[in-house]
Amino acid sequence: MRAAAPLWILLPALVILPVLALLPGISHGGGWELVGQFAAAAMQPSIEPLVVRSVLDGLAVTIGMALLGWATSLVLGLVLGIASSRVVWNNCTGRTAPAGWIRRLLALPRSIHELLWGLLLLQVVGLQPAVAVVAIAIPFGALVARVVSDLLDALPTANLVALRCGGVAGPAALLTALGPPLLPQVISYSGYRLECALRSATLLGVFGLGGLGTELRLTLQSLAFAELWTGLWLLLAVMLGLEALVGGLRRRWAMPARLGLERRSVGRQGREILAAGLLLLPLLSLVAWRLGIDPAALLSWQALPPLGPANWSELLALSWPRLVGNTLLLTLLAAALAVGLAPLMLLVVQPCRPLLLVLQGLWALGRLWPPPLTALLLLFVLEPGIVTGALALGFHNLGILGRLLLEASETSGAAQDQALLAAGAGPRVALLYARFSALARPYLAYGAYRTDVILRESVVVGLVGATGLGSQLLEALSSFAADQLIALVLAYAVLTLLGEDLSDRARLWLQETTHGDSSPQETGGAWR
Amino acid sequence: MLLSPAIAPNLPVTPLLNLENITVRGRNKPRLDRLSLQLDPGERVALLGPSGAGKSTLLAVANGLLEPDQGSVRWQGEPRGRTVRARRRQQARIGTLWQDLRLIEELSVQQNLNAARLAVWGWPRALLNLLLPLETPACAAVLTRLDLDPALLNQPVSALSGGQRQRVALARMLRQEPLLLLADEPLASLDPRLAADLLGLLLELAGPPRALLMSLHRPDLLGGFDRVVGLREGRLLFDLPGSDLDTGLLKALYAGVDGP
Repeated sequence: MRAAAPLWILLPALVILPVLALLPGISHGGGWELVGQFAAAAMQPSIEPLVVRSVLDGLAVTIGMALLGWATSLVLGLVLGIASSRVVWNNCTGRTAPAGWIRRLLALPRSIHELLWGLLLLQVVGLQPAVAVVAIAIPFGALVARVVSDLLDALPTANLVALRCGGVAGPAALLTALGPPLLPQVISYSGYRLECALRSATLLGVFGLGGLGTELRLTLQSLAFAELWTGLWLLLAVMLGLEALVGGLRRRWAMPARLGLERRSVGRQGREILAAGLLLLPLLSLVAWRLGIDPAALLSWQALPPLGPANWSELLALSWPRLVGNTLLLTLLAAALAVGLAPLMLLVVQPCRPLLLVLQGLWALGRLWPPPLTALLLLFVLEPGIVTGALALGFHNLGILGRLLLEASETSGAAQDQALLAAGAGPRVALLYARFSALARPYLAYGAYRTDVILRESVVVGLVGATGLGSQLLEALSSFAADQLIALVLAYAVLTLLGEDLSDRARLWLQETTHGDSSPQETGGAWR
Repeated sequence: MLLSPAIAPNLPVTPLLNLENITVRGRNKPRLDRLSLQLDPGERVALLGPSGAGKSTLLAVANGLLEPDQGSVRWQGEPRGRTVRARRRQQARIGTLWQDLRLIEELSVQQNLNAARLAVWGWPRALLNLLLPLETPACAAVLTRLDLDPALLNQPVSALSGGQRQRVALARMLRQEPLLLLADEPLASLDPRLAADLLGLLLELAGPPRALLMSLHRPDLLGGFDRVVGLREGRLLFDLPGSDLDTGLLKALYAGVDGP
């Protein structure tokens, strides 16, 4: 007995059974009234001018932080990506080893979540607008660098070799041969990164780094639900607008789509792309000026509390196996919820257009709503713990995965779907057989990557307690236990790198058993 | 799959499919323009016409994928199902052989064959088919009918050769137990021997009570057809017994476009 592709995609959804079984045990039922008020307030957001103004101010700060962090990470990522590409080193110096060293060095900044960077920087340089920008730029930059170098090294080198044989110098040959095929992929990917940056900037705000996120958390904790929804609706509008803009530009410029299912030609409209890029520069300077970003202020470090010698006995007394085990459990639970529920939900609503719109709305809320806030909301009715944290993280990632799945399901397996419909099959069963068959491998490969992201992200639900390394880490931060902090950050980094390796292997395995024509470069790069 | 004896000529025959004054609008000009066509059981009809004449559109109207903007479609004398359920019941008896085959690459041959039963199966069997080999004798029978080795049932479709894929697609259509066989240029990408084989099979399968409507690009292969229908710019140019077709008509059909 061997389950076929469409069943694999639904398999992770089985995780809801144990979660449902556990729910009665962890629900304390105290705050249903509050949850009701929260839900009811969705229809009556506050429209008082004062509230709206403060929300708009917060939103502007969040968008500004996202834009600057994103732009910085792109510059960083391109430079470092080129610097860690084997092809580049090979062409310019004839050696490839340095590319590997730089790559390994970049693994550390990448493995630490932007929230940790933000909180660490906060300790060192104090609260200033630049903290969030740098916190986003560091891990994002390292991530973009990896993607850029992966893309570069996966590009076909025939043109490059031809140019080199013709006597063209290394750098010029690289630019001519690899630049044009690289650019559309990088632009497409950077659009996706901008969406991520907006989510991260909101999240950092929740932890006090400024912008709308701070207001969302304050209004939630003071139970001012009407004000909370003012912020949420506006944030939703901005996020959907940004997603539509990014998607629209991707189509207009014929950039490769995500999930690599659709082979697109190299981008066109070069002049327009260049103009858009140039337009960004004055916009970014304006944003930096409005936010009062002062790069010099980043250099004036605060006097840190004196670092005593590490308290080894206390460090070792931490129950590491439990911390690590809980972190992994939280990650797997959240990942299975997100990966499994998205296709199941799509299958349930399939033939009904209005229900699909409701589902898309729910997913959009999941994407925009920072997981720690979901966790706080869940605490109204649930005990703190792993399941609560996993539900919060799972909901957020469900929003991301769901949108991707829906996007990909519109094109893949379309012909087979039509054939089944023509033979009288129902639309649901056709979705399952035709589209899910084609999607199973790329979607699960993406799920493997997402699991790795969730592991890194698990720190953000640490504030609901008892979720492993994350909560211990936040505790160490607030008690200034530097030795514990360093040990925990390193533990997180090691775990994330191991997870990354594992998820890379899982992805390779899923792709190797694929017979289709999607090259590893296409499925490997564009959605990291 | 035994062919039943020919229906006595003097009995009134209910047509399988009856298209009346069908119009399908396109972006600039209609894709089908007031087209009428009737198919009786046992008829083998070839559909000729230059590219863009509306052959695929006609087949899509016939199998129910496309709703015409005007005109009526009747199946076995009854109007096309108003409810989703009634319509799907009718579609279940119309099999289509697609030019690109549209087999589900990720599934086994048997699962693909059984996919043709999804119109009549409920959810439990649809899910079970993805887990266990279901209705093996019926699946093996259609493979044998097409001279394929039943051992192929467990193979993933992606492991088949080109000729095998073609026959598996045909086997899937048989597994649907259709009354009307539609084929959209199935010979286009085949070498001459495979093309002749497939054509022979399709003509043989289309005996009463079944009928065949097949679009093709090869006037030299019309020998086995009872009727030839010429389509140009969405309109019916001729609808004749195969023997009445002459080169003048063919020239008119393809006039102004690159040769057939």
